[in-house]
Amino acid sequence: MPRRADRTRQPGPAEALPAAGPRPSLDDPRVMLDRQAGALFEEIPPYPARTEREAEFYTPTEGELFLNIGPHHPATHGVMRLVVKLSGERVVDVDPVLGYLHRGVEKICENSDYYHVIDQVDPLEYVSSLFQEWAAVLAFEKLMEVEVPQRAEYIRVLSAELLRVQSHTLYMGFLALDLGGLTPILYSFIERDEIVEMLAALTGARMLFNYFRVGGVNGDLNHEFMSRLGDWMSRAGKQAEANAALLNENEIFVRRMRGVGVLDRATALGYGVTGGNLRASGVPFDLRRVHPYSVYPQLDFNVPTRQEGDSLARYLIRVDEIRESIRIIDQCLHQMPDGPIMAPRLPRLLRPKPGRAWGAVEGPRGMLGVYAVSDGTDQPFRFRIHDPSFLNLEVVPHLLPGNLLADTMAIVASLDPVMGGIDK
Amino acid sequence: MDRALKSRLEAQLGSVIRGAVRQRGDQTEIRIAPADLPEVLRTVHESIDMRFEVLADLAGVDTGDTMQVVLHLWGERSSDWLRIIVEGLPREKPRCPSVTFLWPGAEWLEREAYDMFGIVFDGNRDLRRIFMPPDYQSFPLRKDFYLPDDASRSPGMGVRPVEKPHAPAVAEPDPAAAIRRSPAS
Repeated sequence: MPRRADRTRQPGPAEALPAAGPRPSLDDPRVMLDRQAGALFEEIPPYPARTEREAEFYTPTEGELFLNIGPHHPATHGVMRLVVKLSGERVVDVDPVLGYLHRGVEKICENSDYYHVIDQVDPLEYVSSLFQEWAAVLAFEKLMEVEVPQRAEYIRVLSAELLRVQSHTLYMGFLALDLGGLTPILYSFIERDEIVEMLAALTGARMLFNYFRVGGVNGDLNHEFMSRLGDWMSRAGKQAEANAALLNENEIFVRRMRGVGVLDRATALGYGVTGGNLRASGVPFDLRRVHPYSVYPQLDFNVPTRQEGDSLARYLIRVDEIRESIRIIDQCLHQMPDGPIMAPRLPRLLRPKPGRAWGAVEGPRGMLGVYAVSDGTDQPFRFRIHDPSFLNLEVVPHLLPGNLLADTMAIVASLDPVMGGIDK
Repeated sequence: MDRALKSRLEAQLGSVIRGAVRQRGDQTEIRIAPADLPEVLRTVHESIDMRFEVLADLAGVDTGDTMQVVLHLWGERSSDWLRIIVEGLPREKPRCPSVTFLWPGAEWLEREAYDMFGIVFDGNRDLRRIFMPPDYQSFPLRKDFYLPDDASRSPGMGVRPVEKPHAPAVAEPDPAAAIRRSPAS
């Protein structure tokens, strides 16, 4: 294809660039940017497929077309690229390309001491970072064999459930946004802002809290937090119903969600899907119930489960979970005992005895796990982070084929991935 | 601590478990050789009194001397997490059987372990890098991969608290040990 520069100015032999040597300066009048760019970027030979699956995917048959969605796309919930193979308007196959947000948090944690790790894991799931802290702290407490005071446990549950409400409310807004509805996200952000301001009064930060400590929490409940919380609790239930009613009774929304992206029970278990996505497929797997930690055994709440496994069921599970979380917050406020918020006699620098520990909590998106290996130093020898969004996203290539391209984003959004956690 | 699980594991897998079944807190741990992994997983997944159905995690570990693959399983018949440590993979050429025959979702977890440690999973049909670019050469989570700003290994060591040398708190630091190794446990 003739380029514009080729028509206007052909370089003669006298002007030819040196073949080797340092890269010529852009001030050099002989340099033609177009030609340079062509030599550098347009003639990369295709590299051979590395695996069977890649060869199969990138060999289109007659009438098929590849479409790159991303890396920068408003509906990908972060920086992710979906290579979609299309036949007409139907999706044939999908190859997600990850790693655009990879920062090597596990490596950084292995080079930080135990207190720094809590800070480092915050930005992973930036929508609900307390859960990520909780998983790390739980694993470290198992390593150190620390007993956490009851009041600290209640404060943890209280703040984490607030954050779960916030995360699910945002989920509802973004799901509607991906389907083209602009209104719910505005209400979601009103709700979210109230909760993060409340948590800012408690922890000092709006998003990346760095609040949990090995053996307790960083600060006790204060007056501003309690007054904001009381204010919010007086209308939280009603507000959640109103937000859900915007979507539940919207015919366009329901018809685009029902029966789309059906995930059956066996596939969900085989793919390691957890959280609301698994409960929407009929498996009542909620770590707060099936493997209790903290004070959840003393609290009364239901685990909502649905049988359909489609996008609508995944959405409705979240709506039900908001109600259950508000119930839990209410019970926490009534049962909260007095007492210390940190375990006594903890050293300034944590050096757990050599050993291994796995701690897992139920985050808004599923099971958040941390596998920590200690070698007796002040830094974890191995710090493995298991993020639920990673496996929830893995199931996308099995949900999309056969659906319309327009439903791609709806299905991905209904799984609620957060790329910060996936790419680590 | 689930004592019944320990006796079941010893009865059904006694011949392949290396060392003892360890229990601590809410975790039960067994160590096996790579070749036994498919058989062990089939047993704990299908045995009527265990039924570990949920693959919670699959991770690589570099101990400094050898490689490990660590799996965490959850089952409704037990109150414990089951940790299976596949040990003794050579650092030069670590190979391990894939677990995608039971949990197809392990494909990405194995891709991640390959990307970060270079562990090759036989039977995974899509084993390519997942986070790092395709032309990347090294394996970042191995212990001989240092952070570029790792001042602990530079002449002016100990610049910031984050970058202190990785010596055990009790033992004398060994200047000859270039790689941080896990305690022999």
